[in-house]
Amino acid sequence: MSREGGFRAVWPWLLFAWLALVIWAAFLWAPAAANFKGQSSRIVFFHVPMAWVATVAFLGSCIASIRYLRRRNMEDDIRAEAANSLGLTFAVLATVTGSIFAKIMWGSYWNWDPRETSITFLLLIYAAYFALRAAIPDPERRATMAAVYSVLAFVTVPFLVFVVPRIYWSLHPDTFINTQGKIKMDSRMFQVFMASLAGFSVFAGWLYSIEVRLERIRRRRQQEELL
Amino acid sequence: MWRFLAEAGAVFVKDLRTEFRTRVALNALGLFAVTTLAAVSYTIGPYRIAEADRPFLLSALLWIVIFFASMAGLDRSFVKEEDTQTAPLLRLSASPLVVWAGKLAFNLALLAVLMAILVPLYGMLMGFRPVSLWGFAGILAAGGYTLAVTTTMVAAIIARAMTRGALFSVLSLPLLLPLLIFVIQGTRAAAEGSPEGVMEALRAVISLGGIMTILSVVLFPAVWHE
Repeated sequence: MSREGGFRAVWPWLLFAWLALVIWAAFLWAPAAANFKGQSSRIVFFHVPMAWVATVAFLGSCIASIRYLRRRNMEDDIRAEAANSLGLTFAVLATVTGSIFAKIMWGSYWNWDPRETSITFLLLIYAAYFALRAAIPDPERRATMAAVYSVLAFVTVPFLVFVVPRIYWSLHPDTFINTQGKIKMDSRMFQVFMASLAGFSVFAGWLYSIEVRLERIRRRRQQEELL
Repeated sequence: MWRFLAEAGAVFVKDLRTEFRTRVALNALGLFAVTTLAAVSYTIGPYRIAEADRPFLLSALLWIVIFFASMAGLDRSFVKEEDTQTAPLLRLSASPLVVWAGKLAFNLALLAVLMAILVPLYGMLMGFRPVSLWGFAGILAAGGYTLAVTTTMVAAIIARAMTRGALFSVLSLPLLLPLLIFVIQGTRAAAEGSPEGVMEALRAVISLGGIMTILSVVLFPAVWHE
């Protein structure tokens, strides 16, 4: 086995070990933050990385869509679709983890807090992307329309993530990137948080590469069936 | 520049003439708005809302009626071209930007007519009287423009798809939800007479409208020529 092939076989196990370590550290090594009910603050190690991965995936889809519109290469359409599918999955996970936190802290799974409202809107916007794809049978037209919609959809992300929560009063704890630009976190919490962010980012990148390869196979099979 | 405006004006006038022949979009928008307003007025009425809640709830209801009514007719400009198979001829005779500008002007005119009928009627039936009339007019103008520019682009996209009617609402409404939040906030501030609140909302609406305009100018040729 070549050196590269050996690394390819080993790295998913390294990632698995890394994420297992993050989960252990999140529950047993990092302290729980003050001013939060019970152990609820520990959800930050999972909830924020989910939201981060979703936002990066939507940005990735926007970039792939722009590349498709410039080069008309179907590979970019595959990447945009895979990134949106990953972004939607992680946005659902961020919503679920946020809801668990809301139940513990505020007594209800859903309060229509500005941040909950923003993520619901994002879910609806990106779910509509897949509704659009399903409604256009011609592959090239589908790719173009979906790319244009993906770019339009991404424009709403900064408004939903940064503007809406600042217009309405929110129950949501101060965000990691706050208006003072300061990190308000215990050093051990910060180490676990960054380890989790890195681990989930690599995990998402792995899922993305699998989804891209699967989509390539699906499209090749569709073409073969047509011939 | 003058040539561009003249050509876009010609597309606008053509759309206006064909619309007055059938009145499909005007009837759909107007009837949907009046029916929804009648339903809201009958079920809620002007006096069932507590005084403290009136600015926010009446602002929210007004914009919900405008948004849902606009879903009933703002896709017509592009869908009509595909249904009547006139789109290929339009592609040959005008540049994409001219078509976009003409269709946007048509949608703006439709929304202006809708608002001119709906807003005074809503004020009478629901007892909605904003303290800052200029602020309210600014929010209506900026919100109406952003609504028109976004729906024009979505209409161009869905005109090339199947199940167009349902798809227009499915694609437009989520994209318009941030706008809905800003215009409700701005209308509430105008109703309460808070110029700071109106300005804050106006900044957000104008930014969104500006970005959507720039993106539409850049992306429309790709949609139109596909």
